Amino acid sequence: MRIARSILILAAGGAVLAPLCALAHGAEFLSTKLTLLPDAEVLLEITADYGGNPLIADESTAREALSDPVRLKRHETLVPLAELAAVNITQHDNWAEFAPASYLPSDTEAQPHALITAAWRWRSETPEIVFEMPKGKLHDVLLWTRDQTNLDVSPKWMLLLAGDRSKAIPVHWTPWWQRWQTLMVSSVLILTLCYYVSQNFTLRHRTL
Amino acid sequence: MSNRILSLLSVMAIASSAAAEVAYEFVPNFIQPPAGKETIGDGHGEIAVDSAGNIYVSVQDKDPALAGLQVYGKDGKFIKTLPLPASLHGFVIRKYGDGEHIYAAVLGEQKVIKANLDGSIVMEIPTSAFPAEQRDYVSVSKSDETDPKKKIAIASGVRIADSKEELTLKLADGSEKKIKKEKGVAAAGGLKLTNCDVAPNGDIYVVDGYGRSFIFVFSSEGKFKQVFGGPDKPLALANAHKIFIDRRFEPARVMICDRGHKRMLHTQLDGTFIGEIATEMRNPSSASFHGNLMCVAEIAGNVSVWDKDNKRVADLGTSPQMTNTPGIAPKDWQQGIVTSPHGITFDNDGNILETEWNKWGRVLRWNVKK
Repeated sequence: MRIARSILILAAGGAVLAPLCALAHGAEFLSTKLTLLPDAEVLLEITADYGGNPLIADESTAREALSDPVRLKRHETLVPLAELAAVNITQHDNWAEFAPASYLPSDTEAQPHALITAAWRWRSETPEIVFEMPKGKLHDVLLWTRDQTNLDVSPKWMLLLAGDRSKAIPVHWTPWWQRWQTLMVSSVLILTLCYYVSQNFTLRHRTL
Repeated sequence: MSNRILSLLSVMAIASSAAAEVAYEFVPNFIQPPAGKETIGDGHGEIAVDSAGNIYVSVQDKDPALAGLQVYGKDGKFIKTLPLPASLHGFVIRKYGDGEHIYAAVLGEQKVIKANLDGSIVMEIPTSAFPAEQRDYVSVSKSDETDPKKKIAIASGVRIADSKEELTLKLADGSEKKIKKEKGVAAAGGLKLTNCDVAPNGDIYVVDGYGRSFIFVFSSEGKFKQVFGGPDKPLALANAHKIFIDRRFEPARVMICDRGHKRMLHTQLDGTFIGEIATEMRNPSSASFHGNLMCVAEIAGNVSVWDKDNKRVADLGTSPQMTNTPGIAPKDWQQGIVTSPHGITFDNDGNILETEWNKWGRVLRWNVKK
C-alpha cells in the first residue's frame, strides 16, 4: 500500500506494471554474482535494479551502469569486462537469484523490481582474480561469490565502493602439468580403447 | 628556550584536551525493546532526542505493536509508541514558534507532517503542495509484447495532461509528447521524500532523497517558497538521502548528505553552493549537531564525528568490511560494530545514538568521555 501511494500508475486496463519506484535502498548497488566454474572458468553476472535503486532512474541508466561497472585487475592494468568476453544481457524480476539472501530488501519494503543482468563468461589466465572499482564510479558493487563445485558453502560477499579492490579470489585453476597429465592419460586411454575395439572388430570379421 | 618549551607544552595540552573532547565509549545493550520483544523492529528511519532527553526511533515493522515512532527514556527503557505513520524515514525534533515539535518526511505517503511530542499531528504539507515540475515528473515505458519483463523506455518528462486515452509529457527541451495508453504502457515517478529540517526562521526544508534529490523550501505554515538541488549542476545531487540545517554557522547552512556521491556538502539557505565538507565517505546517510561537532551515520559501515572546520575527529563502530544491507541478523551483530547506520543523533549531553537499516531493528550508543 505504501508503495502504491507513491507511484503513479498510468497503465490502461490490463497493462503490466512498469518499473515502480522504490521506497528504500533495497538495491542501492549493482549486485555482482561471481560463479566459479571448473577449469578456471568465471561467470560474472551483474544486475542493476531500475525499479528499486534511487541512483538508477530508468532502463537506459541501468544499461549505462552495466557498461563498465567493475574491472579485472591484471598486473597493474584494469581490464574492462568487455575485453574479457562478449556480454549477454537479460531482463527479468528474479532478484532472489541474483543477490545474496542477506541483501534482499525487507519484506516491509517489498517492492517490485525491474532488473537487467549483464553476464560475462571467460576463462581466467591466472589462478586468482581481483576486481577493482575505478575511482569516481557512482554505483557501488556488491560482489558475491558462489562456488559451483561446492554449493553447500554459503555465498561470501563484499561491497566495493569507488576505488576499492576486492580480495584475491582463487578460481578453479588446473596447473599446466595436471592438464598435460590429464591429456596424456586420456590419450593413452583412448588409444587403448581404439586398439581394443579394432582388435575385437577384426577378430569378429575373421570369425564371420 | 623555556618559553618555547612552555609554548610546546601548552600546544600539546590544547591538542590533548581537543582530542579528549571527541573521545567516546560504546555502551552495550543500551536500548531495551518493548516487553516481550527481542528487538525494536524493522528499522529504516531516524532517531532523535527531545529537550527532556527522551529518545524517539522510527520503526516500520509489520507488527502494529512496534510500528510508528517509539519513545524511550534517557535510560533506554521503552515508554510508548506514538501512532504516527510507520514510514517516517527522516524526522527531527525542533523548537520553533509555539513549542517543540516533530517534523517528519513520510516516505510512504509523500508528505511532511508536523506533530506534537504526543504524536498528534498539527500540520501537514501534502503532496499537492509540491511544485508540479518535480512532483509530476515521470518516466514512461512499455512492456515488450513477447516478453513482458522487458521494458522499453518511451520518454521522461513532466506530466501535463492525463486523459483516459493518452498522457502528455512536457520534455526537457520544452516540447510536448503525447503517449497512447495502450496495453503495457506504464509510468513511474513522483516524489520520494526522505527527510526534512527547520531553519531558524521556521522555513521547512524537505528533500526528495529517493527521487531526484530536489530540496524544497516551505514556510513555517507549509506554503511552498523555493526549490533547488536536483540531479543537474551546480549541485548535481544523487540520492541526497537526508538534509539538515547546520546551525553551527551564522547564518545557518543546509548540510546535504549526497550519498550517491559519497560526500557531504554545504549550501546557503537559498541553495547557493558553499563547498564540500568531505568526499570518499562510506555513503553518508544522516547527521546531527552538538556544539561545534557533527556526527554522521555512514551506511556502508561507519559513524564519524567532524568538527566545524570539516575535520574528521573520530570514527566509531567501523565495520571491518563495507556493508549496506538490512539483512544482518542479531546473531551476527558484534558489540560496538555497526552494520548499516541510517539515522543518528546527539543527545543533549553530546552522547551519540545511532539507528540502523536493519530488519530486526538496532540502536547503538556511544557516550562522550568527559
